[in-house]
Amino acid sequence: MLKKTPSGDKIGLIIDLLLLQKNNNEMESANTNKRRATDNVCISYTGLFDSEILTILAQGIEGTLTSNDKVTKKVFKIFLELAQNISQYSLEREPNSSGESMGVGTMLIKEYDDYFQFSTGNKTTMESIIPVIEKCDNINSMTRDKLREYRRLQRNMPASNKGGGNIGLIQVALTADNPIEYGVVKCEDNNYFYIVSVKINK
Amino acid sequence: MNDIHIKGVHEAFFVPTVNFDSKTGLCELEGESYLEETIKFYTPLFAWIKEYTETVKGPLKFNFKLSYFNTSSSKCLVDILDMLKKYQKEGGQVEVNWYYDDSDEELEEVEDFILETGLEINIIPISEVEE
Repeated sequence: MLKKTPSGDKIGLIIDLLLLQKNNNEMESANTNKRRATDNVCISYTGLFDSEILTILAQGIEGTLTSNDKVTKKVFKIFLELAQNISQYSLEREPNSSGESMGVGTMLIKEYDDYFQFSTGNKTTMESIIPVIEKCDNINSMTRDKLREYRRLQRNMPASNKGGGNIGLIQVALTADNPIEYGVVKCEDNNYFYIVSVKINK
Repeated sequence: MNDIHIKGVHEAFFVPTVNFDSKTGLCELEGESYLEETIKFYTPLFAWIKEYTETVKGPLKFNFKLSYFNTSSSKCLVDILDMLKKYQKEGGQVEVNWYYDDSDEELEEVEDFILETGLEINIIPISEVEE
């Protein structure tokens, strides 16, 4: 299910992320699908989002993505905000090596001529996702100045019970300086797979 | 009262370097702030500022040299700035310097901190310091 009519790019992205998750789960895929899912891919990962894997992914972003420090820093900032969301809020959870319950999800970075596309996906419930979608729509409707004003307002709201600042998505939009794209797909177990994606201009 | 010295770490999480000196009132936060438990890390810093402003009551000079901080950390930074503003209103001597790396986005964030807290912050490009 998509809330809005998706563009071709968006459909491609959703397919890519679902394939990444599917491939990880089943370890097999049709060759055409595999090719589609790996086109332009710099970094892809599906699994537990705990501190150990975040360190490895962070090193991958810092060390290999691009020689442009400003772009690397932007991708890195977006990665830390969205990866932390998966760790904390993904419905699908597994224990890490310390026995602590951590979120499972998918991350994909693709490179195009003029931009990087950074995407994450994780399982969620419809009840959890509705306010997030509304927040994305709200963020996308704002000018940069309005978005900064919104961040100032949200920063002074009480933190969530997991210590979140309520402003991760606002920060992602400001850092990327592009709208937040999203998609929601119904899973076989009646939960939902939520995808969020932004372009970071080179 | 005790000083605070914390050595910055860049591993799974990023701990900023902290040096709070109760004799001189010079306080520095440097490096990156992306913490597993943000509030738990910043709570002793809040307590230090509270004790200093209530007992020592000397001048405070804060130098922020943070190359990265996540959104959870930014809430705590605003809390520090609010405490400094309160101290200034009560007659305390406060100087705040924010060193940034010439990125427009970071400059915007510091400008927003000024708007949020009403505190005067000297914004200093790192490139000017290095020249």
